Parts: sequence; structure tokens; C-alpha cells
Amino acid sequence: MKTKILVIEDNEDNRRIVRDLLTNADYEVIEAVTGQEGVTAAETQGPELILMDIQLPDFDGYEATRRIKANPTLSAIPIIAVTSYALSGDDVKAFEAGCDAYVTKPFSPRELLAKIREYLQ
Amino acid sequence: MTNAHSPTPAQKTRSVSRRFSYAFIGIVTLILIAFAAVGIVFNIIMIEGELETRLDNVMQLARTSLPSPLKNLDKDIVNSFVETIFLDASIVYAKVTKQDQIITEKKRPGFELQELKTSVQPSFFLGAKFIVKSADIQFGENDVGKIRIVVSGESAKKQVLLQIYGIVGLIVLIIGAIWIFEARTGQLSQSVEEQKALVEISQVVSSNLNVEAVLSGIVRHAVQLSKTDAGTIYEFDEAEQVFVPLTNFGVDAAFIQALRESAHGVGDDTVIGRAVIKGAPEQIPDLENVPDYPLPFVKEAGFRAMLAVPLLREDRLFGGLVVRRKEAGWFSKPVEKLLQTFATQSVVALHNAQLFREIEEKGRELEIANKHKSQFLANMSHELRTPLNAILGYTELIIDNIYGDVPEKIREVLERLEKNGRHLLGLINDVLDLSKIEAGQLILSLNEYSMGEVVQTAITAVEALAVEKKLELKTRIPQDLSIARGDEQRIAQVLLNLLGNAIKFTEEGEVRVEVTDSDETFLVSVADTGPGISEADQKIIFKEFKQADGSSTREKGGSGLGLSIVKKIVKMHGGRIWVESDVGKGSTFRFTLPVRVDRQRDE
Repeated sequence: MKTKILVIEDNEDNRRIVRDLLTNADYEVIEAVTGQEGVTAAETQGPELILMDIQLPDFDGYEATRRIKANPTLSAIPIIAVTSYALSGDDVKAFEAGCDAYVTKPFSPRELLAKIREYLQ
Repeated sequence: MTNAHSPTPAQKTRSVSRRFSYAFIGIVTLILIAFAAVGIVFNIIMIEGELETRLDNVMQLARTSLPSPLKNLDKDIVNSFVETIFLDASIVYAKVTKQDQIITEKKRPGFELQELKTSVQPSFFLGAKFIVKSADIQFGENDVGKIRIVVSGESAKKQVLLQIYGIVGLIVLIIGAIWIFEARTGQLSQSVEEQKALVEISQVVSSNLNVEAVLSGIVRHAVQLSKTDAGTIYEFDEAEQVFVPLTNFGVDAAFIQALRESAHGVGDDTVIGRAVIKGAPEQIPDLENVPDYPLPFVKEAGFRAMLAVPLLREDRLFGGLVVRRKEAGWFSKPVEKLLQTFATQSVVALHNAQLFREIEEKGRELEIANKHKSQFLANMSHELRTPLNAILGYTELIIDNIYGDVPEKIREVLERLEKNGRHLLGLINDVLDLSKIEAGQLILSLNEYSMGEVVQTAITAVEALAVEKKLELKTRIPQDLSIARGDEQRIAQVLLNLLGNAIKFTEEGEVRVEVTDSDETFLVSVADTGPGISEADQKIIFKEFKQADGSSTREKGGSGLGLSIVKKIVKMHGGRIWVESDVGKGSTFRFTLPVRVDRQRDE
């Protein structure tokens, strides 16, 4: 059975790049477009890792992270935040919200894959 | 606004010294008059004494010369004696008798013996016109005759008068000279005061943009130097077409309020209204003669005379300067001239202030426009990055064969595509950074970090580039560096930028990074063996869009923003950055950084 990774991302191209990258690396990719969809998917699909974009249409990635980490059954799932470049302080906010790691946009797919593998070990 | 009623200390001193000098001149005059009087009396006594002596001599001469001629009745000798004494012009009459027989009698023309009866006195000093002297002539023990002479006081009086005139003339001359000297000194000190005031004002006008302070100085000096009681400088409000009192001297708040409420303009028949229409100074010597003056409260406040000067420059009306005096009377030409000078200074001050207001306004507009520009650039560059991310992401996936094997020919092009895409991203990031800094949106994320690790990260990132150019990368970092506090990512950005530049511009040799810390401050240096930077270029490379030598910009690429961003980041940490370089001998960029940065510095 393939490892499930939840990608919460509103930009279609970014979602597709991550999907193509991870599918090719033999992961199963679950996609969510909004914060609410992401939280629901985390509760129902049982992902082993979550990629969390920060700028989302309904509530932001910090809020989504807080909600997921507030659920004891989900709190162990590692969350990697995808923060925007040049918005200093995002890294701190991401850790405060409960994220385990972050990558800054624009991310290189190779580096992202390396980071994901690090947290899935 | 200045509403002081009491004279300034300078004014007091001046009037005290004026009073003192009047008293001084008075005393000197009195002393001179006293001296003159004493001198005159002394002279009269002297002249009279001299006359007495002369007469005594004449009598003595008579007593010794006449006895024998009288005894012998030698008339000729007696006659020639009388002729001789008549050489003295003051002797008007002489008579020699021998036992009631007149031997000789001589009378000067114009002298009448009758006069003697009314005006013989013992002394001229007591107002006598004549003195009569007589002597008995004795030959041995016997009286042989008598001589009687009458002396007129006229010539003595003339002499005395001449002397009195002389003394009085001299004294008048001396006193006159003193008065003239004193008056001249007074004028001089007045004009020195004026000069001082003007110099002071022109300095204040040219150095001070606080127009109220400048104008209040002008109105105060104008009132004091024109010896008036109050003054006002009006600014002409072009929109409302009225004179607005800007600064006042010597009037109370109620008066100023009344001035303001009266809202008089150019058309009103006020002294300033008239002056403006005339385009020259205008006076009202006595308000009592102007029963329907438009501002009745001026007269009610006790002012009688007014002088107004329009503030004009190149036909533009700035306002007016008015001084008021409680004493009626015309103002002299010099006072008019003085006030015109003050008016000129006031115009300069008002004009400066207006220009300053305009510049400030423009500055504010510019600042807002600049903020908008920075905000626009920040938004735009952020938006540009989203599609670029997708382009770069897909390109990398294709190169990594995720969409199937890529033929070698296409891969090569894709790699170039990726490289150019990354370059474009770098440029956009620079613009984004700078615009964020300028819009005040770059907030440092202050955390603990290890300087050693930051340097190592930067070195790792540029290692491939250095290897490609066969450059040696050396570091010297002490093992025991303190744990630091700052924005780790931004400090890494600074190092990456400096290292990137060093590698980019160096063709052979080495790039060396050194870190030392002392006094709670890191000193970081990045040295290369590149072409070096000329002294002129060293001054501009930290400015936006500037690189040393335009040709290398085109050759080496880059936005020209990197060093400007680096400098800003260093400054935000409270450090500073500079370059040491000689052309042909490489460059060393150094920056300091407080080990513990607890707050962000704004520029």
C-alpha cells in the first residue's frame, strides 16, 4: 500500500507539479483546495504527511494546521508548510501554529522531495 | 505673537544713556557759564585796576612834572603836559588851575562837563560813565596848583565788552560743539542700532523658516527703531482678499482680535489699504483728524499717528507693515525708509515660508507617490513569481524525466531554460526585497543563530560556482563564536550576495571569508582576488541600480540591487558595511553586525 500524502494548495499548477512529482516517486496524493477541505481530508483520508500552503482561499494554512494539530488522533502527522518567500516571520508563525518544517516558495521539486522523505522516515 | 508693552532692556539702556548725556551737557554748560561770568568780572576788575594805575601814574607824573611850571606859570609846559596826557584816549577832560585861575583846560570833542553831574561814580564797575581824579600840586610844602582830569569809561567799557563778547562767543562755540557732537553721536548710535537690527533680521530671515519668529523679530525692531508704540505685520489672504494680522508688537489680545475680526482689505480706507493702492508708504499723522477711520478701536486704544508700508514684490501683494504711535505727528523720511527696509525683509520671510510650505507639500505628495510605487512593485513582483514558479517547477520535472525520457538535445535547451528562469526569479526577488524595504514592510525575524553555520550554509550554496571557475574558497571562523541573535535568513542573504559577487567578478585566485568577534560585534569580511573597484565606483556601488563599470554589468548580469539590499539589511541589524579595494588588487567587503540584535533599526 502506497504512502498517502495530503497536499493542501489552491494553485492548480502547484498542485499538479507536486502531484506529478510525488506520484512519480510512488506516493498516493490526496488533494485539497481550501483550508476546510484540507482539514476534512486529514480527518477522513488518514494521510501520513501533509503539505500545507499558507495562502488559502477560506482560512490560512496556520489556522488549518492548528485545527489538525488540535485533534489528538491527527497531531502526530508531520505538516510541512509552504511559505511565501520574502514574507519574513512566516517561518516563526508556521512553527508557532504547529508545523514540523517549512519550505519556501519557490521550491525546487527535488528539494521538496528530499524534505518529504526526511519526515517520512 | 509678541504683545509686550514694556520697553526692552536695550531700549531702557538707550534712554537712560540719552538722559545721562543731556544732564552731562547741561552741567558742562553751567560750569562754562560760571567760568565765563567769573572771567568777565575778573576782567572788569582787571581793566578798571589797570585804568586806576594808569590814572595814578598820570597824577604822579603831574605831581612831579607840574610844580615848577606852575610856580613859574610856565603855561607852555603845562599845556604840553596836558597834550601829552591826552594821548591816552580815555582821558576826556583835564584842567590845571592855580589858585582858582585856570592855567590850562582841555576837553575832548563831544564831551560835555554837565554830564559829569549825573553820572560820576567812584568806579566803572558800579556803572559809572566817568571818573574824576584830582590832585594838588605842591612845590615843597606849598600848594602851587591843582590838576583835575576826567576819564571816560567808554574805551574801558569797549574793552570789557570786547572781552565779554570774546568769552561768550567762545563758550557758545564750545557748547555748540558739544551739542553737535552729542547729536551726531546720537544719530550714529541710532544708525548703528538700525544696522545691527537689519543684520540680525536678514540673518534670521535667511536662516529661519519659522516665519512667525522671523516676523515677530521684524515687527519688534521696526517699532523700537521707529520709536513708536505698536506694530503689526499683515499677510494678505488672496483667497479672502483681506489682511490677516500675523504678528503684533505692543498691543493686547483684544486689539489683535479686533484687527482680525475687522477683516479689512485693499479697498478699505485704512492706512494699509491706502498704502497698498499707492504702492508706497502712507501716513496718518493724527487720527483725531480722521473722524470716520474704518477701525475705530485703533483710536480707542490711544493711537494717534500711523505709518503703513505695503509688502510688495514684483507686483505681488504679500501684506503690510504698520506702526502706530500714541503721539500725533508726521513720521520722518528716515523712518519711512527704515520701515521700507523692514518691509523688504518681511516679504523675503513670507516668500520663503510660502516656498517652504509648497516644498513640504510636494515632499509629502512625493513620499506618498513613492510609497505607492514601492507597494505596486512589491505586489507586482509577488504576482510575477507565481507563474514563474510553475514554469520552473515543470521544467525541473521534465529534466528529471518525470514525464518520460527527454532526448539529450531537448534536455540541453531545458537546462538553459531553467537557468534563465532562475536568473529571472533572482531579479524579481531583488525588486521585491527592495520595494518591501522601501515600503517599510521588511520585518526582521529575530532569532538565535550560529554565525559559523550561516557562513557554512552560504559557502555550501556557492561551492559549485567556485569549483566551476576553479577558484579556491577559504574560510577562517573561530570555533568559539558566541550564540548570536538576528535574522538568520537575511544574514545568509547578505553573505550569499557578497560571495556570489566575489565569485562572479573573480577569474582566478581565491575568495576568502573571515569572521571575528569583539566588543559584542561580529566583523565579517569577504575578500577576492578580482579586478578591484575604483575609488569613484566604491562610492556608488551601494546605491540602487549601480554597478562598478557598466560593461561588467552587461557581461555579468545582475539587477544592480543586490548591494543596496545588503546594505539595508546590515543597517536594519544595526551594523555597517564598506568596501576596501585597489584596482588590480582585489576587493574586500566588510560588515559589522551586533552579536545580539534585539530590535530592528529603521533608517
